[in-house]
Amino acid sequence: MMILTGKTIMSALRPPYPYGGEFVNQFLFALRLCWFPLLISTIAFGYGAPGLQAGNFLVLFGAIDRLGGFFVLATIREFAPFVTAIILAGVAGTAITADLGARKIREELDALQVLGVDPVKNLVVPRFLSLMVVTGLFNIYALLFGIFGGVLATLTFKAPLGPFFATLLTNASTTDLWGSVVKTTLFGAIIAIVCCYKGMTASGGAEGVGRAVNQAVVISFLGIFAFNYVFTQTLLATHPEISVIK
Amino acid sequence: MQRYLVAPRDWIASLGDIAKFAARDFGEVFGLRVFRFFGEALRQAGVLILGSTMVIWSLAFILGLQCGIEGAYFNRSVGAPAYAGVFSAWCDLREIMPYAFGYMMSAKVGTGLVAEIGAMRITDEIDALEVMGISSMTFLCATRLLASFMVLPFMYLAAVGAGFFASYLAVVQQIGEVSSGGFFLIFWMFQNPPDLLYSLIKGMAMATVIVIVGTYYGYTAGGGPVGVGTATAKSMVLNTVMVHLVGMLGTQIFWGANPRAPIGG
Repeated sequence: MMILTGKTIMSALRPPYPYGGEFVNQFLFALRLCWFPLLISTIAFGYGAPGLQAGNFLVLFGAIDRLGGFFVLATIREFAPFVTAIILAGVAGTAITADLGARKIREELDALQVLGVDPVKNLVVPRFLSLMVVTGLFNIYALLFGIFGGVLATLTFKAPLGPFFATLLTNASTTDLWGSVVKTTLFGAIIAIVCCYKGMTASGGAEGVGRAVNQAVVISFLGIFAFNYVFTQTLLATHPEISVIK
Repeated sequence: MQRYLVAPRDWIASLGDIAKFAARDFGEVFGLRVFRFFGEALRQAGVLILGSTMVIWSLAFILGLQCGIEGAYFNRSVGAPAYAGVFSAWCDLREIMPYAFGYMMSAKVGTGLVAEIGAMRITDEIDALEVMGISSMTFLCATRLLASFMVLPFMYLAAVGAGFFASYLAVVQQIGEVSSGGFFLIFWMFQNPPDLLYSLIKGMAMATVIVIVGTYYGYTAGGGPVGVGTATAKSMVLNTVMVHLVGMLGTQIFWGANPRAPIGG
């Protein structure tokens, strides 16, 4: 996998760049598949976990207006990135593995190589780049709908929305936002590499493709969460100012 | 624009099929017909234990660490680092452990079922079973559902334990702003056995949905080796969405009206 990462980055940077069309295709493909699952999931997550649970807790103290501030921590820093990553890995990642695995089983990849077309440059690189971009952008989308879930939760508690947005916007910082976007972009890279690798090394007929998808999802989930832990820890420890409640 | 609506339309189209499939599956399990193949159910339980436990526990562990550090930093910022236990207790038990369990179940078990049963379908093994006079529905799908009912509650409880341990490590050993005793005092005060039961119900509801969806997509796979891959990918899409929906509904039902916290009167 490391070798594939190295190769991908090298051939992404080295001219020629024949992968423009495929990049756009993959980008739209991921967009088409993911927008709806991501919409439902982020609203559900935002409403349930941080919205209701933290809201309940804050209502006890009569401080429901602080829910907005909590949503910075909950949604921007944690849930939006990882729900995005889960959906992208589960939806776009599996589709990529199934697609590449099918091509491998039908020996299309070997045929490409015989024709002198480099599969890494023409198949992996566009997927790698488009998944990185699309995950980073989807993070913003997930953020918006996660906060919408919080708005729904605030309305369930029959609280006014003004204080929610006031505390949300005072507590939100640019560091949080770029941290979140950088994190998800790297999640995208992890997903793309794992899924392409598993797809391109699929073998063993019908069950092989299914098993490749299975392994790809498991490995990318574990990779995402392990990376998430290290990243969050580093961000929180090196930027103490973002966790100050204003 | 049409192409952007493919996924939602697919779900609506297959929702009735899945419901019918689920009803049949439950009928087989609760009508006790599945016990004719109890040996197979035990074998599937064994497969589940050997194949999936470690992965599920490790995801629960990583997310427990995550909850721990977020909780520690959040409580430090509000000036109450000693109360990191509240955050861990609620975050771990009520929300993150069911989600971690659901994610890993759908990734490991759900797609595994699709790959396995889908391969049987396209190599005509399922038809062969029917020809031999064995009900494939009972033998393949109901036994797996029974196996998951037998194994998963215990696996889930152990996963919650792994998450608690990880939160303890993160809050007390790694960040170290609260003593071990102080952490546990608050930690146990903010949860009680009914909370654990609710969390278990949430986790099991997710697991049941995942097993049903996995067996459905496997059982109805078609179109050669590529079809199995596509079915696996599709099951994953539906599963991730269902996990989030079940999680939200569970929170709403169990804790929506009653925070169950030892605060106030």
